[in-house]
Amino acid sequence: MMYAYITRRLLMLIPVLFGVSIFIFVMMRVVPGDVAMTILGTDATPESLAQLRKEFGLNLPLHQQYLNWMGGVLSGDFGESMRSGQAVLPDILSRFTITFELTLLSALISWIIAIPMGIIAAIRHNTKTDFSVRMVSLLGVSVPNFAMATVLILVLALFFSYSPPVGYIGFFEDPLRNLQILILPSLVLGTGMAGAVMRMTRSSVLEILRQDFIRTIRAKGARERVIIFDHALRNAMIPILTIIGMQVGTLLGGAVIIEQIFSLPGLGQLVLTAITQRDFTVVQGSVLFIAFVFVMINLLVDVLYSYLDPRINYK
Amino acid sequence: MKKFWVLVLLSCIAIFTVACSGKDTKTEGEAGEKKPNAEQTLKIANDQEPAGLDPHKTPAASSVRIYSQVYEGLLTFDKDMKIVGQLAEKWEQPDDLTYVFNLVKGVKFHNGREMTAEDVKYSFERILDEKTASHIKSYFANIDSVEAVDPTTVKFTLAKPDATFLANLTHSSAVVVAKEVVEEKGDLQQTAVGTGPFKFEKWVPDNSVTLTKNPDYYIKDTPKLDKVVYYTMKEESARLSAIRTGEIDFTTVSAKSAELLGKSKDLTIKPYQSLEYSYVGFNVNNKPLNDEKVRQALSLATDRQSIADIVWNGDAVISGPVAPSMSDWAIDVTKEEFYQKDQDKAKTLLAEAGYPDGFEIVITTASTYPDMVDTAQLLQQQWKEIGVKATIKQIEWGDYIDTWSNKKADILIGRNGSGTDPDRALNYFFHSTGSANVWNFADKNFDSIVEKGKQTIDTGERKQLYTQAQKELLNLSPNLFLVSPMNFVAVRNNVEGFTPYPHNAQNIIGVSIK
Repeated sequence: MMYAYITRRLLMLIPVLFGVSIFIFVMMRVVPGDVAMTILGTDATPESLAQLRKEFGLNLPLHQQYLNWMGGVLSGDFGESMRSGQAVLPDILSRFTITFELTLLSALISWIIAIPMGIIAAIRHNTKTDFSVRMVSLLGVSVPNFAMATVLILVLALFFSYSPPVGYIGFFEDPLRNLQILILPSLVLGTGMAGAVMRMTRSSVLEILRQDFIRTIRAKGARERVIIFDHALRNAMIPILTIIGMQVGTLLGGAVIIEQIFSLPGLGQLVLTAITQRDFTVVQGSVLFIAFVFVMINLLVDVLYSYLDPRINYK
Repeated sequence: MKKFWVLVLLSCIAIFTVACSGKDTKTEGEAGEKKPNAEQTLKIANDQEPAGLDPHKTPAASSVRIYSQVYEGLLTFDKDMKIVGQLAEKWEQPDDLTYVFNLVKGVKFHNGREMTAEDVKYSFERILDEKTASHIKSYFANIDSVEAVDPTTVKFTLAKPDATFLANLTHSSAVVVAKEVVEEKGDLQQTAVGTGPFKFEKWVPDNSVTLTKNPDYYIKDTPKLDKVVYYTMKEESARLSAIRTGEIDFTTVSAKSAELLGKSKDLTIKPYQSLEYSYVGFNVNNKPLNDEKVRQALSLATDRQSIADIVWNGDAVISGPVAPSMSDWAIDVTKEEFYQKDQDKAKTLLAEAGYPDGFEIVITTASTYPDMVDTAQLLQQQWKEIGVKATIKQIEWGDYIDTWSNKKADILIGRNGSGTDPDRALNYFFHSTGSANVWNFADKNFDSIVEKGKQTIDTGERKQLYTQAQKELLNLSPNLFLVSPMNFVAVRNNVEGFTPYPHNAQNIIGVSIK
């Protein structure tokens, strides 16, 4: 049953991605400016502009351009960057590993902080502890992460003479250095995410704890730890998972500002640079890829629902 | 329960401390080795990612500063903006149309092959080939033929006399490339094989470009560095913190940060006058800017010194159409009629033009560059004094380029590079058929002066012509030329032998690490 559902969802990917591909293709052609102009700048002459546009196939009719691009994509060739000549798909994938690691670390940090704190706040409902957790989570939600990132960088540099090492290095090349580079951006993103998760955990656990079945379990003499972890938390996980799924999905599309501040060559940077330079192939390829990842994360969350709550089944 | 969470918290702190302190142990080790014989690696942080490495196709400054270390041209500028030989040992001009260059002997490409006159010929043919879509093709449009006379002699024949030819040869994109590399790779965007002091090693996108020493470089004991790594760090606060803590050795900084960093004892701020100037461009076809009196009035209402003081922190000089760092050609604009702030005269001129109560207008600027936005805001205030009500429209960079090249704005704030020869600053931007004349400006007298200037070989006579052309431009004011900013490079004190100059701000050939 589950497999049939997953297959159905995967098939639905086709119209979604098709729609996204048309949308982004048209968007890039509608915005003013094109790649030939941004490359040549003040050095542009009408002839050199025309020559570059010809080279990139921008002189062809729109439907022809779309078909050429789509034809490539379907056969696994996302084309080359118009700006740097780099192959698009390998670039997207190598940047995705960085964005993926950043997302994973941030999510871990956020869960480590948020879920326990949320549970504690729910258990100690309306006490000083609860109040402080709510304060902290409100801060987490409302302090913009770019502000926190800049303050963090400056404080560490000015008062502790510390700045993260420059030049990204993959985890498998040098794990320690890799973590040093990623720990600060992950902390910033993680604490930001933690705010929302904390609030959700608190209210969701609180709601479950008030339900009859919890009272019944308690009456049967179950230990508090069993009540909280085996019964309350598991039942409270559905809304928490929804919000986590959204956060992770968004983050996997690239944490544009944080990547920029910490000089991480992630997916967000790629898309941002490509948009300002009107590098059509790169923008189109990466947006398509991000849409794909987002849909997959949503699917994963839906599957996890039914694992957490067997009452949910997909027919 | 409580204990458990305390434990979790403590272990988090521990992990974080370990992650941060890992670096300290490492640098101690490095520092130990550094004392007797320092590792000759220079770490540079740049604000932009290179846009590609093909010197003939990529004008972006973020690319130029890197490929200039790898490639060389026939000629270059020295510190004082005098033309000197690079790959050309000496040159002569037998007649108005012919230039003969004798190449330095024993120069090798980084792939080991000897560089010959054939390579010079090939490189210029590549620049002129329409298919290359080179941004510097227009600089060399006067070349009729290039001939390799023998392996170390190359002869250029021009179609008509061109006084800008030698200066154009110093352009950082007019460099010699190897034919076999172009043929193998299709173009040179992803690789770089030149004759310069550094060899290209690798480019990790949005991360770093690594160059290594060219051991066969034809100038003895040069370069001193073994390795140069260019990191892309777009955020200025990240670059500042990295140079403070010594993670990087070298970075460009804004005027405001230069002042802050100047207090740090581990680093030195090196200023140099840029070749750029900021301007206000008018679309002279559109009302009311089609009337030169209106443009002159706006010039008189503009307080250039306050733009230098406020926008550039005082680190900018008032400029005309040729930036003052081109000292041989630039005129002293501070005495010019329309550079004196005079609101009464401005109002009179507006009234004469038929706008006694001023008018409303939109100033377009790029949000990408804070200095342009600040300039727009100052002008808005200053012009208000004579009744001109301006609104500011900030647009994103791609949109800005489109607006610029398609002449979509009435008033556009921007910055121009003066180039290497006044012909560029005057002919290219303001001749009625100039490629970068996006102002609809057309003046027959001006056209004939700059046309003559391009063909006049005698320097004294040429200088007179360009002085005349600059005055003509200031009078007609198709643009208001504002100020030419200083640029700043922050360098750690362990970097020796670095002096930036306008033509080569990242001149690292003589640099070593102590």
